[in-house]
Amino acid sequence: MRLHAASTLALAALLAPARAIFEDDAYHIDFHHALIGLPKRGINFQKPYAASKASLLYAVSHEGAIGAINPRDGELVWRQIASSGLNATGLLRTGEDQDTVVSALGNHVAAWSAADGRIVWETSVDGATVEDLELLEQEDGITNSDAKDVLTLLSDQGLKRLDGKTGREKWTFQDTSGDTPLQISTSPTTVYYIALHTQLLGGAKLRVTSLSPITGKKIDQYTLSSEGEIQAPEHVLFAGANTAAPLLAWTDKSNKVLKINIIGTKGVSTFNAPTKDAVEKIVLHAPSRVNSLVHFLVEYHTATAHSAEVFHVDLKKGAISKAYSLPELKGQGAFTTTSSDANVYFTRITTEEVIVVSSVSHGILGRWPVKRISTLAGAYPIHGASEVVMKGGSASAVRSAVLFSNGQWVLIRNGEIAWSRPEFLSRSVSAVWAGLPEEEALAHELEVEGHQDVLTAYIHRVNRHIRDLKHFPTWVKNIPNRVLGSLVGKASDSLENIQNDNFGFHKFVVLATAAGQLAALDVGSQGKQIWHVDLAQLAPETVFEAPTLKAYRGYIEIKDSASQKSLYINSTTGGLLSSGDIKTQLSIEPKGQTLISFDLVDGDLKGFLGADISTQPIWSFTPPNGEKITGYTARPTKDPVASIGRVLGDRRVLYKYLNPNLVLVTAVLESTRTASFYLLDSASGQLLHAISHEGVDVSRPMPSTISENWLSYSVVIDSHSDASSRGYQLVVAELFESPLPDDRGPLRASSNSSTVQPSAASGDVTKPFVMSQTYQIPELISHMTVTQTKQGITSRELLVTCPDSNSIIGIPRHVIDPRRPIGRDPTSQEQSEGLTKYMPFIPFDPKWHLNHKYEVAGVKEVITSESGLESTSLVLAHGFDVFGTRVAPSFAFDVLGKGFNKIQMLLTVAALFVGVLFAAPLVGRKQINGMWTMPS
Amino acid sequence: MHLPLLSLPTLAAVASAARFTLHIPANPLVNPASLPPSTHATLQASGPPLTARLTRSNSFVFTNVSAGSYFATIHCRDYAFEPLRIDVSIEEAVEGSGDKKEVVRAWQTFLGNEWENKGESRGEGGNGVLVEARPVGEKRFYQERQGFSPLSFLKNPMILMALFSMVLIFGMPYLMDNMDPETKAEFEEMQKKSPLSSGAANPAQQLQNFDLASWMAGKTDSNPASRGQSPAPQSKRKG
Repeated sequence: MRLHAASTLALAALLAPARAIFEDDAYHIDFHHALIGLPKRGINFQKPYAASKASLLYAVSHEGAIGAINPRDGELVWRQIASSGLNATGLLRTGEDQDTVVSALGNHVAAWSAADGRIVWETSVDGATVEDLELLEQEDGITNSDAKDVLTLLSDQGLKRLDGKTGREKWTFQDTSGDTPLQISTSPTTVYYIALHTQLLGGAKLRVTSLSPITGKKIDQYTLSSEGEIQAPEHVLFAGANTAAPLLAWTDKSNKVLKINIIGTKGVSTFNAPTKDAVEKIVLHAPSRVNSLVHFLVEYHTATAHSAEVFHVDLKKGAISKAYSLPELKGQGAFTTTSSDANVYFTRITTEEVIVVSSVSHGILGRWPVKRISTLAGAYPIHGASEVVMKGGSASAVRSAVLFSNGQWVLIRNGEIAWSRPEFLSRSVSAVWAGLPEEEALAHELEVEGHQDVLTAYIHRVNRHIRDLKHFPTWVKNIPNRVLGSLVGKASDSLENIQNDNFGFHKFVVLATAAGQLAALDVGSQGKQIWHVDLAQLAPETVFEAPTLKAYRGYIEIKDSASQKSLYINSTTGGLLSSGDIKTQLSIEPKGQTLISFDLVDGDLKGFLGADISTQPIWSFTPPNGEKITGYTARPTKDPVASIGRVLGDRRVLYKYLNPNLVLVTAVLESTRTASFYLLDSASGQLLHAISHEGVDVSRPMPSTISENWLSYSVVIDSHSDASSRGYQLVVAELFESPLPDDRGPLRASSNSSTVQPSAASGDVTKPFVMSQTYQIPELISHMTVTQTKQGITSRELLVTCPDSNSIIGIPRHVIDPRRPIGRDPTSQEQSEGLTKYMPFIPFDPKWHLNHKYEVAGVKEVITSESGLESTSLVLAHGFDVFGTRVAPSFAFDVLGKGFNKIQMLLTVAALFVGVLFAAPLVGRKQINGMWTMPS
Repeated sequence: MHLPLLSLPTLAAVASAARFTLHIPANPLVNPASLPPSTHATLQASGPPLTARLTRSNSFVFTNVSAGSYFATIHCRDYAFEPLRIDVSIEEAVEGSGDKKEVVRAWQTFLGNEWENKGESRGEGGNGVLVEARPVGEKRFYQERQGFSPLSFLKNPMILMALFSMVLIFGMPYLMDNMDPETKAEFEEMQKKSPLSSGAANPAQQLQNFDLASWMAGKTDSNPASRGQSPAPQSKRKG
């Protein structure tokens, strides 16, 4: 058995030399946005353990991720992404002086180590969701310093108290009344369970049950009549605050009246909204600490302005009174609560300034104007958290982590933007490469010249050159700087500068999120955001669900399944273009030719004449035996091939089957666990090749890709099948015109062949000869694609996304060559082709990982693009995290790497020059002597 | 070693579902406490895999695992772990007793081999069994840059040969000078005897001045010193 392990290791060694990332290139040529998604309300500054000096920012996101962020630089400390994914109810509670944070996502309750994100305990509930989660801060008036117990409210299984150290259940309170469970609230002595009792005649009552925290037995119960104001759970604004007087607040449908009850009493205080305008949103902020003053703030938002009122609770009388109000300000803003000892401070964050006030009086303790940055243009704060440093009665410093309306999570430190995290990118659904504007402009000018007669084209060109001359002085001025910069080795400077993009590494990628936000990133300069637009603001009438992007010269077309209309966006500036502006450029269709488009219609793949899919299909493909098509992959439209054949060791040639219209269709039959792959010609609809796999787990992803003359896909073997092996398989098939070298098959004789009717021209023999090999791989692949280069000379690399290890791996093409000899060592001729003996298992060499130490989570798609260099391909992965890098599958053969020491080279040249200076007189003298003296 | 598993509650107990723990033992390769929190283990059989995250006590806890044969993988950013095969079955503890219990068996497995090809056992037992998950190596992502170093330059055989001949050329005269007269005489004697030094003192010069035409003409010159001299002095002598 050891032998197997040894052979695996030997194989790993054999597969070297692998092209890997250089250590000094890592973190420079690539970038990674490690995101957690849009944080929910309740971002929290908390010390990861009691003795810690600095605090971390904890948040749970709408995407179901829990994360700890370092407030100093915005770097992710740890994160855990729920497998259930989007739209799970997410709750996160952090307790003071605790080394754990407790989360509830869907039906899963877990305690995490606050410092490093490891699991402490976890438990899940079948068939229920967690509605609310609270930490039991105090028990009988004594603060728990140990692990605090957790109270969970389940959707239909009542209230449970879980042990804070182990997660074991201590007691359960079963609610059998059938009311909708709403919230839990605790006071130092009692646990309150609040439910919504729906009445037959509309409206609902709030039922508050008080429980003993020790036994979980019911102590008391009372109902609060809401007078028909509460119709749904959303109308209850607030319940809780772990203070001496927990509050319950609700409002009516029109947000005109605010009603507040101190939980445990029956009195309801009513307050009117301060503004005459329609209030859109009311938010209540109360301190969460037990020993804080019982003051709270109510935030009112209208369409154009926001204001707030601060209330005090008199515990003896059980009365709530308004203390003061904060003036109405135009625009939107957010309020945060900070408690320090017993004091409570409110921080008001608007787009212009940050103001700190105390809960006691309305005097401003500190005020900082906010310096605007371009990424926050047009956005306003939504919610956040703050830390306030008090010195001598005034706020000396404040830092606020605020989510802005455009999805940027920002830390404002004394008015300065310390960092911003583009969390909106976690929802990206589509991405395209857009060329740099200069390049596109030049291409356009050249095109203009191409369409004119010789004389006007010549004049146009001369004019263009004269116009270009104005850049000449600055170019000359920059030469010394550039030379010095490249010598001293400040490579990062040239990386930042798009103007100096000699190698074409700076390419924009435009990402669209599900909510209709568009952002352009520069992949060459660490993913710097170039522009960001919200389509909802540009085109308010269109609704976006899953926009798809398409890049054209200088602009981007946005289409959405929800609306038929297309939007056009300038790819340089992000400005909206009217469809009239671009009509002239829309001539992608070559004249005199008709395009055949194809799409999945009613479960069949159908081909249509022209781009309109409402016409009669010209071909249709239905898989046999009732199989269902799950997806298809087409060969990329831009897929240059450098050589039409493969040169064998004996100098003969195997001709590649190069068909631009290849489509690989994936179809499954669940009952027999069969996955079938059909290779079609999309022009004629002809079936070229079919492969079928039995015993496949059809519920798992089956990614596929086509490039050049080869295709690849991956399947997962089902444990219920009788296959002798288990795990994940990668299949690679290569298409040739003929199995014989130096033979072009049926195409040899015909000088003219039709792609529309390949079959009718010469029978069925135009089908390719397919060679394929299957390999075992260690991990599931969720997506695969192929690198792209300018001319296709560089060998390709198969880029696979492994969701389990959060990595993107580039498998060199020669490793998965279907011509690897099976069961024997390669002959010397095969060795000269670079073929190695077939091994059933391909270990994923860590050197193949493009992401090295980064963990790229939730990747849905990887897109590649050519760069200015033939050796290099640009790669961008998106979906949840965004990751960009560049790869050189055959090494960077056309550019000097960082390892090239320019100073050393100059020194060598200088030394040689000095040597020549010394040697020249010597040699000259010797030559003269040789001519003038007789040999003795 | 305390087991977090034993303290783990199952809010809804499911019949015939096993629970077990994959544990990373203390080993010389890696301190398990230093592994990143994203480290997790998956159990793959059919459909979406079961996932367990790394706990504070360096283990992965699987609960509610139904009977079947599972392929267990540990995914870690920094270290590679050996793949495991874990079989969960419901067996009678004592034959015929009717008392059925979950049995968990774990072995090493070898990718690219038959599933039945099992390696060493990594744990066996009933509910709550501890299965060892051993790291096999660190993942090295980076490629060393082949910088210029004088040592690698010296390792080049061409450079070595050149250096050796340099030493010979420059070192030999010194060596000769430093020899004591007796050895020197002996050495010179040896040189005289050697076939290369027969005749002229300088074999290289001799070789350069070799007169091919006369040699081919079968001329046996009695005066080897004059061989290869330019014709002019010869004619002078004749004349």
